Amino acid sequence: MSYSAILPAVVLLPMFGAGLVVPLSKVSNRARAMGITIVVGITTALVALLIPGVLNGEVYEQRLFQMTPTIWMSLRVDALGELFAITAGLLWLLALVFSFGYMADEERTNRYFAFLMLALTWTLGVALAGNLLSFLVFYELFSILTYPLVVHEQTPEAMAAGTKYIIYIIIGGGLVLLAIMGTYFLAGAQEFGGSAFLTAELDRTSLLAVFWCFIAGFGVKAALMPLHGWVPDAHPAAPAPFSAVLSGIMVAAGSFGILRVLFYVYGIELLKELGVAMPLSWIAAFTILAAAILAIPQDNLKRRLAYSTISQMGYVIFGASLLSVSSITGSLVHIANHAFMKGTLFFCAGILIKRAGIHNVSEMAGIAKRHPITMGVFTLTSLSMIGTPPLSGFTSKWYLGIGILDAEQPWYLVILLGGALLAAVYLLPIVYAAYFKEPAPIVRDLPEIEGRLEAPATMLGVVLVGAAITIILGIFAWAPGLPLSLAKLAAETLP
Amino acid sequence: MEGHLTYSALPALIVALPLVASLLVRALGNRSEPLRDWYAIAVTAVTFLGAVALIPLVAEHHVIGCEIPLLLGGITFHVDSFGMFFALFTSFVWLCSTVYAGAYMQHEERRNRYFTYCLAVLGANMGVVLAGDLVSLYLFFEALGLLAYWLVVHTQTPEALKASTKYLWMTVIGGFALVAGIFIVFGIGSTGVIGPIPFAEEQTTLAWVAAGLMIVGFGVKAGIVPVHIWLPDAHPVAPSPASALLSGIMIKAGAYGIFRVVTALFRPPVMEEVAEELWHFTTQLGFVVIWIGIATMFIGVVLALLQENAKRMLAYHSVSQMGFIIAGIGAAGFLGAHGAMGYAGGLYHIVNHALFKACLFLGVGAVYFRTHELNMYKLGGLWKKMPLTFVFTLIAAFGITGVPLFNGFVSKTLIHHSLVECIEFAHEAAAPLWQIQSLSIAEKIFVVTCGGTAASFIKLIVFVFLGKPKQEFPGMKEAPARMLVAMGALAVPIAVLGLWPNLVLQGVVAPGLHTWGLHSAILDEFVLFTPANLQAVVVAFVLGTTIVVVGVRYGLFHAHFPAWFSVDYWYRRTARAFLAFCTAANRGYEAYMAVVSRLIVRTRRQLLRTGIRTQRSWKRLLVTLGTGAPGLRHQQFIDTAYVIIERESHATVRHAVDRALAVAEASSEMTPHEQELYVHAVRDSAAYMANRFVNERVGVVADLARTGRIEPLRVALEESMAKVVEFREPVAQIALAVATPRMRGENILRQLAREMNGLLSRERFDLLMREAVPSWKTAQAAARLGHSVEAAIPSEEVVSAFRAGGLTRLESAGSWISNTAIGLIEATVQERIPWMIEDRLDSRRVASTQLAIQRYVRDIGLNVGVAIAMLLVFVVMAAAGLL
Repeated sequence: MSYSAILPAVVLLPMFGAGLVVPLSKVSNRARAMGITIVVGITTALVALLIPGVLNGEVYEQRLFQMTPTIWMSLRVDALGELFAITAGLLWLLALVFSFGYMADEERTNRYFAFLMLALTWTLGVALAGNLLSFLVFYELFSILTYPLVVHEQTPEAMAAGTKYIIYIIIGGGLVLLAIMGTYFLAGAQEFGGSAFLTAELDRTSLLAVFWCFIAGFGVKAALMPLHGWVPDAHPAAPAPFSAVLSGIMVAAGSFGILRVLFYVYGIELLKELGVAMPLSWIAAFTILAAAILAIPQDNLKRRLAYSTISQMGYVIFGASLLSVSSITGSLVHIANHAFMKGTLFFCAGILIKRAGIHNVSEMAGIAKRHPITMGVFTLTSLSMIGTPPLSGFTSKWYLGIGILDAEQPWYLVILLGGALLAAVYLLPIVYAAYFKEPAPIVRDLPEIEGRLEAPATMLGVVLVGAAITIILGIFAWAPGLPLSLAKLAAETLP
Repeated sequence: MEGHLTYSALPALIVALPLVASLLVRALGNRSEPLRDWYAIAVTAVTFLGAVALIPLVAEHHVIGCEIPLLLGGITFHVDSFGMFFALFTSFVWLCSTVYAGAYMQHEERRNRYFTYCLAVLGANMGVVLAGDLVSLYLFFEALGLLAYWLVVHTQTPEALKASTKYLWMTVIGGFALVAGIFIVFGIGSTGVIGPIPFAEEQTTLAWVAAGLMIVGFGVKAGIVPVHIWLPDAHPVAPSPASALLSGIMIKAGAYGIFRVVTALFRPPVMEEVAEELWHFTTQLGFVVIWIGIATMFIGVVLALLQENAKRMLAYHSVSQMGFIIAGIGAAGFLGAHGAMGYAGGLYHIVNHALFKACLFLGVGAVYFRTHELNMYKLGGLWKKMPLTFVFTLIAAFGITGVPLFNGFVSKTLIHHSLVECIEFAHEAAAPLWQIQSLSIAEKIFVVTCGGTAASFIKLIVFVFLGKPKQEFPGMKEAPARMLVAMGALAVPIAVLGLWPNLVLQGVVAPGLHTWGLHSAILDEFVLFTPANLQAVVVAFVLGTTIVVVGVRYGLFHAHFPAWFSVDYWYRRTARAFLAFCTAANRGYEAYMAVVSRLIVRTRRQLLRTGIRTQRSWKRLLVTLGTGAPGLRHQQFIDTAYVIIERESHATVRHAVDRALAVAEASSEMTPHEQELYVHAVRDSAAYMANRFVNERVGVVADLARTGRIEPLRVALEESMAKVVEFREPVAQIALAVATPRMRGENILRQLAREMNGLLSRERFDLLMREAVPSWKTAQAAARLGHSVEAAIPSEEVVSAFRAGGLTRLESAGSWISNTAIGLIEATVQERIPWMIEDRLDSRRVASTQLAIQRYVRDIGLNVGVAIAMLLVFVVMAAAGLL
């Protein structure tokens, strides 16, 4: 049986779920929660169903409809797309379940859930897009239609952050559009998966111009410095579960776009010929270190995590731009690993915001006594982020490190480990303060927790599942079907 | 690692058992404390038995191991003689410490946590020494470092928090150095197995970097100078059984790493015959490591002598003793194929130090348990109260100072021998002279350090146990039985290993050397009790006694180095500077962003303003094109001005009437009818005069408004109207004056007109306005320019005389054209050229012409032009057949 027919269903199901939100909310909040969770669950299960085939090297394709005489909207799943899709699906499921607890006392929840479901559609579309134009369509929808989620709380800060977000994203989207037009002009309509679209015979200047247009366009989303401006503002303003998705998937979507461009539009040979990978790796290296340095003095927890995202996403571009199989593997697997690590960290931050009213690092002193599970998970994920074995962050760092040596750039180890050390500097003091410092006044004045759990079971469960994923992706990293196997396959089968 | 690997799951079980068992501690501890203590002891004992069970396996198969599918591909365990040796003493000392902890921890809090991490760290530590590849080694090493954090921080006193923070950062940084080294090792051709790396000639630099990074990485844990700084802080603040583990065992995980780096990774392949020059890299690395060891041992002992706190003193001795071990390992590397003596010395000292340092910490811990005092100078005479503790501590002190018949004597002699061999080897291999000399200096420092060690422990024993008690400790008695058992269990092997050195030399080192393709013959020839060896001990003790005597006499032991003397100080400053840099970077970035956003906001506002202005201009243009009027604003202004002026006129009349009423009422002669007539007369006259004023003022305003500069005019009008209020009274006076003649029926119009002209010339509303307009005052220069231009053109007489002759048609057409042009120019630029208006006012004729032309140009020129253009378009379109 061919799984190709699943692809449209995968993309359209969450949209259907979005349609369910309002009717079900008329029944009850519980029905709404159950309904959309089931939809996302089925979607994720369908995506997971594709993994065995993808690992066998099969590629599923499905044309949707014709846009122009030469261009089709088409869906296609390969190892890279599958990696991103399954990561997105799972993280969405976590974020959704977390939202039920988090959004319980918020307003405009129908809007929130509907747009969250829609965003999953666009994300899966991005992951499974079969050619550049389909990619662009989903990418733009994804970028623009998440605006209601960014500004959800509609405080002045949220509105300002939303404005900043939309301006950045639209400019970036414009550049991407320009670059894609350039690509179609240079190479005509082609599907992902064949040989790389562009070849060295084409005009060098146009190739370079289109390349940097792509990088600048996707770089806005991927938060390459200095195009990262929207990230540190949008994250603290958005609701915590959406921050998790924002960090784990949205920013990664930009990186995903860059990966598609690097390896499917240009191809390793052409990149080497053009000599653009080296400057790109410098930009990524700068992003890794500079963002980490800026993360250190941030007092707002979510802002600090946002800067951490910028730094960690730098690793993805960094690994990809080194062009060795190991480094690309590391870069790809880091998308998945980072999504769950950062997602979990944001979930922890969400619990602290909702249950203790704590937004800032300086208020977290002594909070571990009141929130032992949350802070335990926070500690574990922080260690993973730093790259401590046997957690998932170590897997990415390991392949990146080996890749650096394969690419014969041993000095880049300084960037890799410098970034990790800085991650320790911006994460570990939080943990230390939470466990060992005298409680901050706000913590001392917090009322006793009612009931047995420090947070609603859904929220706590999500945090624990996140921690479990972080551990499993580290300890059983080798296991087939986990991101590492997909990343390896993707890196080995690049055109 | 070469050789045949025999499968055995035992190493994995040894590692897994304590790790898994640690998860149960809390549950048990919550139920019953003794149960938990015994549980921990049992787990440790089983682990130790497992390690013992390795002995026959390794003896038979040389290397055993297994692989578990975890992490990136699988984590592997390989056990050779050396690994087994580490596993044995590690689990043995751990067992003793756990037995001791059962009693000791009763006066500490958070016991569940202590035993949890105690077991977990044991698992990690066993993992380090049994790991079969670099990834697994790194995994367990990091786990060891991070889990041990909980042992260091255990008491959570401010000192413990400070020390543990320092410990954590050093561990993290060391971990990064280590993993960087491992990456490079992979990059230069290793497959990850702990065995020789086949790196190419041109990768020697990378190999040096890798070796350096790995030595630093392991060295952080091993406490080598200059990354030892955490150790003297962290070891003493932990509870004593944990101190014993930290100083006795965990520090050896670092030594184990360095041992493997020097003797397993960076060495030529394991073969029967290896060319001597292949050892070159190992030799050079060994030389560096020897010096790291020498520096560490010397600096450690000097700092140890300056300590008051007994545990801190012991911690500094751990640094120093690690120096001995590292020097031995370095010698093993330096001697290459002939390094048996170095291997023996290094490894022997590793186990010895584990035993006696653990025993010393437990002994001092027992003293602290009873006295709660760690300052050596405040204790004394304890041997009577704590005889057994005294005996065990004394045995350990004999061990560490190298008294014959105790274990330290053997290992120190071995290390000393290996250093001497290094000098001989350097001579034979024709090494550079500086290297030979530096090695002989190293040997001297070694001897001095032995003396320093002796001094330290003479101090410890004398000040703590001998002499007179400095203070009374109520309830002073011997340590609890379990603690004594633990110390005793450690003291016995100290003596045993001193008496039967071949247990280690032939049981462990020789088979291990064979596994790694090295010769052990030299160990067979080794004789321990030679006069030279014994003499070295005597020298050390004489030196030691001298140091103590001189030190006590001159108070040298209380000397303090300045703060900047310690590397710690500089690390701290660097860290602080870095954090300050981060803050500054952030602040700079925020400021930069603020500037950018302000710029954006300002640009946006500017754009909006320009947009509005353009829009307004466009509207004006349209209006001008469509109606020919100078613009709505002018008309509006004139209308408004008219209202204002009209209101003033009403006020004037009312004022006059008020005065008239007052006069009429005051007058007693007038009848009411006459009064009425009188007021009417005054009102009529005042109304006439006010009307004249209105005409004049409106004329002036309308005239000025044509310049188009409405805003200044509005201001000017307001000011002027405020001034002309003063004319109300004169008007009233005149009206009153002419009221009586008027009532009589006389014609007063002439008089009124005369008076009015006077008033008007007094007022000069045009001048009033002109003065009030702000910008026209500054336009004096322009006005002067206008006058000079006027002076330059022919006077009116000349022109009239000329015109008397009559104009030709051509001339009149030319004048019409020039007038039109002037009018056009003026119509478009009139705002900027006020003198033209002045000119116009000066000469009525010119003004009227110009006005006519203006109107002509506007009305006919533009409107008709537009109409014609549209007509043309229509015609063209019609012609083209579009309609």
